[in-house]
Amino acid sequence: MTGCHLGRGLGAVLALGLLAGCASAPPWPETGAAPQAEDIEPATVMVGDVPFFPQEKYQCGPAALATVLNHRGLDTDPESLKDKVFIPGRQGSLQVEMVATARAHGLLVYPLEPELGAVLEEVAAGNPVLILQNLQLDWWPQWHFAVVTGYDRGEETLILNTGTLEHYSMPHDVFMATWARADHWAVVTLPPTQTPATAQRLPYLRAAHDLEASNHPEAALTAYRTAEERWPDDPTPIMAQGNLAFSQHRVEKATDHFRRAVQRFPGFAAGWNNLGYALEAQGCNVFAYQAKACAGNLAPERFDDQSRPTASSNADHCPALPSCPLVQ
Amino acid sequence: MSELRGCLKQISLVMIAVLAMATTFSSVANATMVSTGDMIQQEQTQLDRQQLLNMLEKQDVQDKLSELGVSKDTVAERIQNLTPAELAEFEQQLAQAPAGEGVVGIIVLFFLVFIVTDMLCATDLFPFVRCIR
Repeated sequence: MTGCHLGRGLGAVLALGLLAGCASAPPWPETGAAPQAEDIEPATVMVGDVPFFPQEKYQCGPAALATVLNHRGLDTDPESLKDKVFIPGRQGSLQVEMVATARAHGLLVYPLEPELGAVLEEVAAGNPVLILQNLQLDWWPQWHFAVVTGYDRGEETLILNTGTLEHYSMPHDVFMATWARADHWAVVTLPPTQTPATAQRLPYLRAAHDLEASNHPEAALTAYRTAEERWPDDPTPIMAQGNLAFSQHRVEKATDHFRRAVQRFPGFAAGWNNLGYALEAQGCNVFAYQAKACAGNLAPERFDDQSRPTASSNADHCPALPSCPLVQ
Repeated sequence: MSELRGCLKQISLVMIAVLAMATTFSSVANATMVSTGDMIQQEQTQLDRQQLLNMLEKQDVQDKLSELGVSKDTVAERIQNLTPAELAEFEQQLAQAPAGEGVVGIIVLFFLVFIVTDMLCATDLFPFVRCIR
């Protein structure tokens, strides 16, 4: 044998992944489907106002997407979505296009934790869940999009709009097997004024930032505001609003946001740093210098900029600078 | 033995490239505005790191470590020095492992990286690993 193939080392790493994938389906979650105690938790749940679009062969993507979009009051149908998400050559749709099209309709797309409990909790909160399944085998996949609209705790079944079937009861173990083969892909799509039932701060912010990155700044701004309300102890949503305004050349608006950030979180160095740049863009050079100096003092390893020029003058009507916690 | 050595060298070269890339991306210039994406990424990295450190507190993990003759503090220190890319990789492994299972598998993966960095003389965690010059 001459030399060695890298494949062997990588194979060992891959084997770990495969072993992890061999675990049997976890049981129906005991708790977590609702914040209440189990005895008052609803045994059966059906999300209201979920339209049904019988899906022709291969067109589960457009139909499933139309289902969740119409549930949010958007007027669309599988036929008009088909061009956006259906790839004739592959006779199917890709997750990324489903997500992009939902965003194009102004909705925030929140990926769920890969656990059945998360799906149930969202459904109990009235959010239909768009899921991907692999109905066949790993090595011979048959991908399928469906919408979870309810569940029956007693029967341990999930209720889906899937294919040509409305309110189809799928046994828990079948659901888990087909869903696991699609890497537990599940998302909720909702207006950026709302947060999902299972929302966590960082994934929500990432979903909001994805709206901004995919060129939907209005929806992104709304989502950042929603995040600021929901997580008032976090400076990031305020910073995000400032950065968004700055990228739109609304410099004074950006300054307002960054000022609000450092007023509420005086020790937040990145806030001072960005405030400095926004003030500079406004011509408030003296205050910009002071704000950047504050950032440098709060976090020297990140913001200590030696090349900073000493500023001499401020433009007119510069907003007063909040006091830096270190430089008085 | 020399075959093995050659193989390890190949793996190390790949690791060097990966680590170098990760380092380049993590030390972005600081004389600029902090973007929203950066803030989210930094927080995610902290979260991932904390999750790994929390894993060290589990009894079966500590048992496995002492079985391997590695102190918890050494591993904790190594975790503190992991790059965001390395952290993300372990995070992915964690996400794939069902709750309570696969922890030992992750540790094994972890030690693969430790051994490789040992070979590169970046760390000296395992006395039995000689570094490649």
